[in-house]
Amino acid sequence: MTASREKKIAYGMLVGPSVLIYASIIIFPIVFSLVAGFTEWSGLGVPEFVGLKNYTRMLSDPVFRLGLRNNLLIVAISVFGQIPFGFALAYIIYRRMVRGHDFFETMIFLPITISAIVVAKLWNQIFSPAGLFTQLMRIIRDDPRFVLSVFEDRTFAIVPILFVILWMYTGIYMVIFLANLQRIDPGVIEAAVIDGAREHQILFRVVLPQMVNIVFTTAVFAIAGSLKSFDLIFAMTGGGPAHYTEVIAIYMYLNTFKYYNYGFGSAVSMMIVFLSLGLITAVQSVFRRLEARYV
Amino acid sequence: MLHKRFLMVFAIVALVGGFVFAGGQSEQPAEDDGVITLQVQHYLDLADNVSASNFQELVDAFHAANPDIRLEFDYLFNEPYHNKLQSSAIAGQLADVMFLWPGKRTGEVTGSGAIKDLRPWIEQMDAEFAPAALAPQGANGEIYELPEQVTATHVMFSNDRLMDELGLEFPQTLEELIAQGEVIREAGYIPIAMDNGDGWQMQSCLLSALVARTGGREWLDAARVGDASFSDPEFVNALRVIKALYDNEMFSPGINQAAYGQALTDFVTENAVYFIDGGWRTANLTGEMTDDQYDYVSYHVFPALPQEPGIPDSTAVVAGTGFGMNADLEGAEADAAWEWIYFFAGPEGSAIKAEQGWLPAVQIPLPEDSPVLTVKLADFLGSTPGGYVIDAVMDAEGMGVLHPLLQEMMFGNVTPQEVGDRYEAWVAANDSSRS
Amino acid sequence: MSKMTLGISRSRDVLAWRIFASVFMVFFTFLTLAPLIWLLYSSFKPHPAIIRNVFALPTQLFVENYTKAWRLGNLGLYTINSVVYTASATVITVFLALGAGYGFGKFGYRISGYLYTFFIMGLLVTAHSVLVPLFILETRLSIDDTRFGVILPYVAFGLPFMVYLATSFIRGIPDSLEEVARIDGAGYLKIFWHVIRPISAPVVATMTIFSFVNNWNEFVFVFVLTSKQSLRSLPVGVNAFAGGMSRDYGLLFAALVIATLPMILFYVFFHEQLKRGFAAGAIKE
Repeated sequence: MTASREKKIAYGMLVGPSVLIYASIIIFPIVFSLVAGFTEWSGLGVPEFVGLKNYTRMLSDPVFRLGLRNNLLIVAISVFGQIPFGFALAYIIYRRMVRGHDFFETMIFLPITISAIVVAKLWNQIFSPAGLFTQLMRIIRDDPRFVLSVFEDRTFAIVPILFVILWMYTGIYMVIFLANLQRIDPGVIEAAVIDGAREHQILFRVVLPQMVNIVFTTAVFAIAGSLKSFDLIFAMTGGGPAHYTEVIAIYMYLNTFKYYNYGFGSAVSMMIVFLSLGLITAVQSVFRRLEARYV
Repeated sequence: MLHKRFLMVFAIVALVGGFVFAGGQSEQPAEDDGVITLQVQHYLDLADNVSASNFQELVDAFHAANPDIRLEFDYLFNEPYHNKLQSSAIAGQLADVMFLWPGKRTGEVTGSGAIKDLRPWIEQMDAEFAPAALAPQGANGEIYELPEQVTATHVMFSNDRLMDELGLEFPQTLEELIAQGEVIREAGYIPIAMDNGDGWQMQSCLLSALVARTGGREWLDAARVGDASFSDPEFVNALRVIKALYDNEMFSPGINQAAYGQALTDFVTENAVYFIDGGWRTANLTGEMTDDQYDYVSYHVFPALPQEPGIPDSTAVVAGTGFGMNADLEGAEADAAWEWIYFFAGPEGSAIKAEQGWLPAVQIPLPEDSPVLTVKLADFLGSTPGGYVIDAVMDAEGMGVLHPLLQEMMFGNVTPQEVGDRYEAWVAANDSSRS
Repeated sequence: MSKMTLGISRSRDVLAWRIFASVFMVFFTFLTLAPLIWLLYSSFKPHPAIIRNVFALPTQLFVENYTKAWRLGNLGLYTINSVVYTASATVITVFLALGAGYGFGKFGYRISGYLYTFFIMGLLVTAHSVLVPLFILETRLSIDDTRFGVILPYVAFGLPFMVYLATSFIRGIPDSLEEVARIDGAGYLKIFWHVIRPISAPVVATMTIFSFVNNWNEFVFVFVLTSKQSLRSLPVGVNAFAGGMSRDYGLLFAALVIATLPMILFYVFFHEQLKRGFAAGAIKE
């Protein structure tokens, strides 16, 4: 009796403060957005209830759909690019395959410590029509009007941004994987090496099965982060030219803060939440199956 | 165990520091000595050495002249300023005095009733303002901010030294201009430096001036309310000019991916013969060019088009930004706010700003020692008629439709007629002046 | 015989992996270092020299960019503010999240599942979408324009991911360790402090890095929730150099270096500490 009472008090003291701070800061804004999403409202004046009109308008807007496409590509590069890359890098360092692994670890992590605004400015200084790379190519190809045409291509303008995203955030996944690799009992790997296991056998039979949960965790994080991505792209291209690099968060930002469509913007931000939830649920079911098979 | 102790100390310092600072922010004590304190939201790039120190000089002069008024500033610039203005407007927490735009950029805030109409004070002021500066800003003729300047959004700068070198004269017609392109490119230069990565530059600095020629003020007034259409030749002909320039490689390579400022660099470094931008670039050119360069930079408008039923040889002009006040201010506080608003845009403030290469909205003689380019800009403005700037009269959200369409048109994905049709469709369905 | 071939193929195998690994690492390092080195040396060139030739090395060390950026951008004060916000928000977030992680991971209450999901939902919310309501909330509570009002949303927005990391780590700690302590008669809070906290060192290290990086680069909350210049942080200060009509690439680059350097130093210095944290926390069975 006293034990269970003591447990409850301890629980309250451990969990209570987080819940309190989190709830007080997050709940009001979310409920506010959810409700505003059903209205037509400039933020000033009286909101008008319009039901699901904001959502239907959004789904029929080609700009939103282009943004959605780009967002899904970012999700793909995060889940199928950053996670495997991050794991590969962590594994290389963990297995001591290169000399100076400390140095390389720092190099890979470095991009994350730089703010998105700085990264965007740097990349613009390099790949813009007056940038370092463009100038170099003009000399090499002896063509004073050379520019990177990929930035003006409706289908592929997002690709350079995907590349920056891959470069910038892979370090996060490396750190997570490295921390977890170091929890594997070294004896297991030593035993495998003594038994003559090849490197790929160690990787696929010993290490990876222990990482399934971590991969799921990182996938959730990657999805949530990808659909929200804003700072970097806003500073790099602002979604342009001609919406080719638009993402949903920029679409939301412009509608809310530039066009004063507060209600519509709120609906878009709720859409980001719904889309993330959908994707995470899908990923969860995939991993449940994987777990059932391997663990 | 070193790291543990280290982290512990770090934690304690951080916590104590955080709370001491957090607690230390008490409210300003209310002053009871007759001094009126006003909160001012200002749009200023603090990192811009010239404007920032010039503005400080202006504030000091104001405080010296008005010891009974105290101004407290919140400085922001670019998007952050607008985010803050909107958030505080929605929360009902607007500052006493704030920096505003004459047109649509801050139209939702000024139109909401939260900003005071300045006309009662304007009617009583002595100084004479350029007529364009006191154009109505609200639906019923309200003026919410007192403009500090009148701006031409289109100037076609030329580098006369390069033109001599290439044996060129400033072109009289569009055709002549395009014909010069090959000569200029052969020599390794850019014909017309322009950057349109953000989308607004093409509309504000070129399209608006072109529409003033192909349509004119009356036409745009009619199109705005629905008596004319953006599908009309008055609009589409102007789009065709841009398309022709792009297709003939007249603009900077990669114009639609270039950030604002790149074209300026190309002109300053003499890589471009012509440069199209706003009159406000005078201050930058003055700062970045050498004394020799000042002499061979000229101010022109775009050459004549085949048909100019609107205003021939025109640029586009718009009233500038300035300060307005919170509608809640009354009596002495409102008068104090006006003191500042008038000081900033009127003769006293303008005299201080003129040192920096500004052309004020209030009509005062240009100082003797004005920079060379400021004098050239003054001559340009004095002799050039101006049409509307499109984004000053049409909704900002519609500009979010038009700007990408202009880029798509240059890429060859839509025709000029389609741009006009699609923009018209948006305006007919959504623009606030059509309803 | 068979042992021999096995040894050779294994060493060849290892060699191939090593070559692949080295190429991969060198490529990545180049991508990261080249722009940073360029940024660093360009920051010592005056603006006209930068726009005239973007590659050229500086002919003299133009330190004025730094002194001017520091003074004009008020970067001294902003750096102090950034350190205060980042450090206090990081410590509070990590500590709270670890506690919550223990509660969610080991107590077995049914409410934990709901609360946990509630936190995870927070991962999906963008800062911009809550900006206006958050500002309204803070003005009503009169905590806008205070350091406390800035730190609070930093913590709230940091919690979801930190709770996630802490919970998944603590769940993986064998129950046996906790049971031993319980048999010795220790209470839950005591177990948290003396058993869970030390074992969680690796995850605390990871959490600290993430939290620190996120808080350091946080941008929107500060300028909307504060009006006083004295409360603004470094990213807001740096952004002032990055836009607008005026331009001075020398100043911008110097400001970028100033904003980036503390994070790099933080990582380089704490890297070792955090490493040792990893090692100390490894569970030996």
